[in-house]
Amino acid sequence: MLFLKRYLPLVICGFTGVVFGIQYYVPHKASEDLLTFINDWMIIIFGFSMILALASLFHVHYQKIRRRQSGWGFSLIVFIAIIVTVIIGIISQGETVDEKGLTSFGWIYTNMLVPLSGTMFSILAFFIASAAFRAFRARTLDAFLLLFAAIIIMFGRVPAGEYLWSKIWGAEFPLQMGDITEWIMGVLNMAARRGILLGVALGAIATSLKIIFGIERAYLGEKE
Amino acid sequence: MRKIANILLNLDRRIIFLLIAAAVLVPLLRPFNLPGISISQPVKGVYDKIESLAPGDVLFISMDFDPTAKPELYPMGISILRHAFSKDLRVICMTLWAPGVGMAEEVMSKVAREYHKEYGKDYAFLGWMPGQLTVIIGLGQDLKKTFPKDFYGNKTDRLQIFENINSLRDIDYMVDLAAGDPGIETWYLYGKEKYGFELGGGCTAVIAPGLYPFLQTGQINGLIGGMRGAAEYETLLNRKDKATVGMDVLSTTHFLIIGLVILSNIFYLITRKGKTVR
Amino acid sequence: MDLSILLGAWVAAGLTLFIFSFLYKDNFFFKLGEHLYIGVSVGYSITLLIFKFMRPKWFTPLFGEHQWILLIPTLLGILILTRFIPRLSWPSRLTFAFIFGFGAGLTIPRSISGYILQQIQGTVIPMITKEGTQISYTFRDFSNLLVFIGVLTVLIYFFFSVEHKGAINILSRIGILFLMISFGASFGYTAMARMSLLFGRCYDLTLFSSKRYYYATPILLCLIILCFLIHHVLSKKHSV
Repeated sequence: MLFLKRYLPLVICGFTGVVFGIQYYVPHKASEDLLTFINDWMIIIFGFSMILALASLFHVHYQKIRRRQSGWGFSLIVFIAIIVTVIIGIISQGETVDEKGLTSFGWIYTNMLVPLSGTMFSILAFFIASAAFRAFRARTLDAFLLLFAAIIIMFGRVPAGEYLWSKIWGAEFPLQMGDITEWIMGVLNMAARRGILLGVALGAIATSLKIIFGIERAYLGEKE
Repeated sequence: MRKIANILLNLDRRIIFLLIAAAVLVPLLRPFNLPGISISQPVKGVYDKIESLAPGDVLFISMDFDPTAKPELYPMGISILRHAFSKDLRVICMTLWAPGVGMAEEVMSKVAREYHKEYGKDYAFLGWMPGQLTVIIGLGQDLKKTFPKDFYGNKTDRLQIFENINSLRDIDYMVDLAAGDPGIETWYLYGKEKYGFELGGGCTAVIAPGLYPFLQTGQINGLIGGMRGAAEYETLLNRKDKATVGMDVLSTTHFLIIGLVILSNIFYLITRKGKTVR
Repeated sequence: MDLSILLGAWVAAGLTLFIFSFLYKDNFFFKLGEHLYIGVSVGYSITLLIFKFMRPKWFTPLFGEHQWILLIPTLLGILILTRFIPRLSWPSRLTFAFIFGFGAGLTIPRSISGYILQQIQGTVIPMITKEGTQISYTFRDFSNLLVFIGVLTVLIYFFFSVEHKGAINILSRIGILFLMISFGASFGYTAMARMSLLFGRCYDLTLFSSKRYYYATPILLCLIILCFLIHHVLSKKHSV
């Protein structure tokens, strides 16, 4: 039983990792067919994993209702919204539009999901402005550079900024605002981002190797 | 003076909220119609590539975003499709984001109607499939096996548009409109890297700075960043739409934030100066 | 106007205002909108999963076309669901091992060639211009030099295996300066993104304020403000 529970998963993980790592360097038809075949399985497995994710959410809200925790009524609303959406989705056969226009399912998407999710993220605009007012202080050289870059980019990436710049320096001035912001983005920002990217890529490779060799086992629910 | 600065520094945040709301609403109700915007090289990269394609070439678009990114990526999708259909390209569209299916379908059918394009011959919508990177690999290996049916339930091997399209190797250009992960990087790493198609990107402004390393190496041939990028594309097409309308709002809100930051720093210096003296 | 379009406009305007009401304070309307958002998006995903994935990609090939080989990924998929029963959850490890092994195998070669090699290639680029026997130094060369210095110093900053002292400290300080400029640029872009989203919602709200939509936005806004006032008066009375 210990073999099934502990060692077999490590063997499967190591084996598939090595096989599909090597597969990349073997352009033979058999190797490509294997990738196509197994990849198709993975799509189906991913579909089932979505059920796991959705069920976890159900579980959280069910527990809230069962224990009558504060705000449990809102968890009930979550359930009602899920059930109503799914029922309407089934009636519409999952189609958002038909020959007459929007289906009921499409109506829910357009008039409920789109405004709700759009607004949920748009309120961050207010908080970002408030945070900038409260916390953006040029206390040190680092903070000053951060603030300065932010101001240049915010000024230069809008038509009013470009217009003002060309009014001050003239339209024939060789250094226009668009060139400055593009240079900051494409040289200074890019260099820093590349440093981060290389670090992340090296980290991803190291973690992948640890997973293949069974050193990293967190995905099995083990602590070490 | 210090007292006033202190009061202003501790301003109720709802006053700042009101200022932001005004900065958005005023240009919306009374547009300034600021002069044209300059075109950046990354946006021109995508435009030039589509411009260079011949009628009948295949453009593959993945609209990997959800309603949260609608104001930035929806106008981009509209503009790119207008450009593609005006050049009589064949367009295949899909999404890796489940909540984005409705919007991707809407953009596609709206612009196709505008140009009187025929479904299955001039364009097709594959819809959504779970699996993210495995979907990309599947498309690279065998498109019709990965998507046996399109979004509307038609068999892909029976649609005319897919006649000579068996995998991502057969497409002429791909544009990924992304709001995060899976997005442009995923399409590059698991798609272009192996299957060798030309890749361009459009993305939200939040993720745009992180994609410049790929732009410089040519791993992506162009990048349309945020609503500003979408407005640039509209300018290139000479067809101003919602993204261009939004430029007035971006101008006022950006100027307001810049003003707030400068003012808060002045207030901060005043209060600090006072403390040093004491 | 079609009733469903009109109703849609009122619902969309109402829900948008529900979420915006959080700017005043956390309240019932916001919570209602927030939980509706979760419920509707989950319901939407479930429906898509059934009709756009399960049916065409799994159910029809397996039971309609009898592709029995699909029983293997089906079994692996079902094993994931054993995670719900803690005592019997161990079989899910087999599937997770398969997924992670596959993912790790795919990631390593692609990251090496797609990220590391290509990015290094893009960093080590000419820093002087040579045309025939003539050597010149352009602004582009200066930018290339900055890219090289930036990448190198940022990597040094993140290299914690060596103590940051002396020359290493100076280089990592330069790396921090590059990072600060990049973070500043990111802030500018993030502000732009958020303002764009706000523009999108306000655009719709102003659209729904028109006579065509029977002044949905101002009417609903007044109703919400009225509810806040009534709540405020009642709670004040209650506290007295």
